[in-house]
Amino acid sequence: MKYALLVYSDQSAWDGIDEEEAARRRAESMPQWIALFEEMGKADPESTGRELVAASEAKVVRVVDGETIVTDGPFAETKEQIGGLFLTTLPDLDEAIRLAALVPAAEYGSMEVRPIVER
Amino acid sequence: MTAGRLSLDEIFREEWPRAVGILTRVLGDLSLAEDAVQEAFATAVERWPRDGVPRSPGAWILTTARNGAIDRIRREKTFARKAELLARLEDVPADADADVSSIPDERLALLFTCCHPALAVEARIALTLREVAGLQTPEIARAFLVTEPTLAQRLVRAKRRLRETGIPFRVPPDHLLPERVRDVLRVLYLVFNEGYAATAGEALVRRELCAEAIRLTKLVCVLMPDEPEAFGLLALLLLHDARREARVGPDGELVLLADQDRALWDERSIAEGLHVLRRAEAFRLPGPYQLQAAIAAGHAEGATPDVIAATYAALEQLDPSPVVRLNRAVAVALAGDVAAGLALIDEIQGLDGYSYLPAARADLLRRLDRRDEAAASYREALALTDNAPERRFLERRLREVTGSG
Repeated sequence: MKYALLVYSDQSAWDGIDEEEAARRRAESMPQWIALFEEMGKADPESTGRELVAASEAKVVRVVDGETIVTDGPFAETKEQIGGLFLTTLPDLDEAIRLAALVPAAEYGSMEVRPIVER
Repeated sequence: MTAGRLSLDEIFREEWPRAVGILTRVLGDLSLAEDAVQEAFATAVERWPRDGVPRSPGAWILTTARNGAIDRIRREKTFARKAELLARLEDVPADADADVSSIPDERLALLFTCCHPALAVEARIALTLREVAGLQTPEIARAFLVTEPTLAQRLVRAKRRLRETGIPFRVPPDHLLPERVRDVLRVLYLVFNEGYAATAGEALVRRELCAEAIRLTKLVCVLMPDEPEAFGLLALLLLHDARREARVGPDGELVLLADQDRALWDERSIAEGLHVLRRAEAFRLPGPYQLQAAIAAGHAEGATPDVIAATYAALEQLDPSPVVRLNRAVAVALAGDVAAGLALIDEIQGLDGYSYLPAARADLLRRLDRRDEAAASYREALALTDNAPERRFLERRLREVTGSG
């Protein structure tokens, strides 16, 4: 089964903190990320992961009556936004949930496990 | 029609999960397996009354289902993995007289799959009754007071989710096993409860569901003989079930344990429950079901109220849920300290909307002769339940405390 593991977190937790604090937080979670990459590589060597630029930098595009309308910022005004995603092929849902729980964001945000449709 | 002692229905219920389990393993898809087995059963219904029940009904069903699946997959033009599936089906022994027991039993994997936590609880219950208990969709719909299309839809959606989300077909690995065993036992407990204390309507006891829950729990005990809580649950269900007849009065009203006519208790079921409980206790790993069974056994064997209260205290240590705390509070009151019981009830949080809490509180207030407060609590309880026998019981008590009965 192919899965997308979507990383949700509250970007505002990073608002207004200085570079030093941000670096400290990143360093703090680094061992967990390394452990995650190792486990994910073992489960599926071809799995990929990408971090996304903050949702506040996003453009929302809609076509209404043939006219393209572009607005700023995240589509939904929810606290948690997608901050990144993993694409991976795993034996089953139990394994997908196990790996999702290893993502540090599962502790301070949440993870969404979405099976990918295969046709 | 019977084959030896077994009716056709009983054979079906026994052989359905075996055949579905084995073919799900082979085909990797529950729906495909189910379709094949369903077709084999339809053929059996047609042929067995005419030709007689085969010597080995299980092998006959499996062989017929396998052959049917091979035919169907051959006809499919666009089926992905066609060759692979056909090869795997060809490997299934095709001798209608053979002994199926030589093929690994997949019923446990089937049960764990049907009870997977990624499914909604209602879906787990419906799937378990359909696939592992081998009940027909109309039977399950009747038992849960829903229409057949509703239940059929629930099953279709559950099977789609199994396939689309990649819920595995297997006995979980060690690191997941303890929590998954709890999930499975909980589903069986819920099936029993649904039959034992219907939440709506007149049918307080829907005996078939209780019987199915007991049958499935026995199966779990056979398949996982090292799980103390499986035996604990089986003991609990048997002991509760033994009191079925005594639990409802002649007019369908609820009869409390203390007021039950013990002559109506099923002695054989109690003896079996006590025997199973001793087996569970021999593991020396008490779990919530085992302790609940010990409490039920205490009632059956006439243990003193303070022994019962002490067992509830042990249960609360393992399972400090509000319902357990409520039961312990009542046990403390029955052991003589009504005021202490009432104080424990008033500490309980998180049981809003649960009619037994105001009902129990009302009962203790009644015993303390605080009639106005008791009446208020009975009214609160009445506002929370639609169960007719329970309502009759509460209304009778309300009349007593308001002096209008």
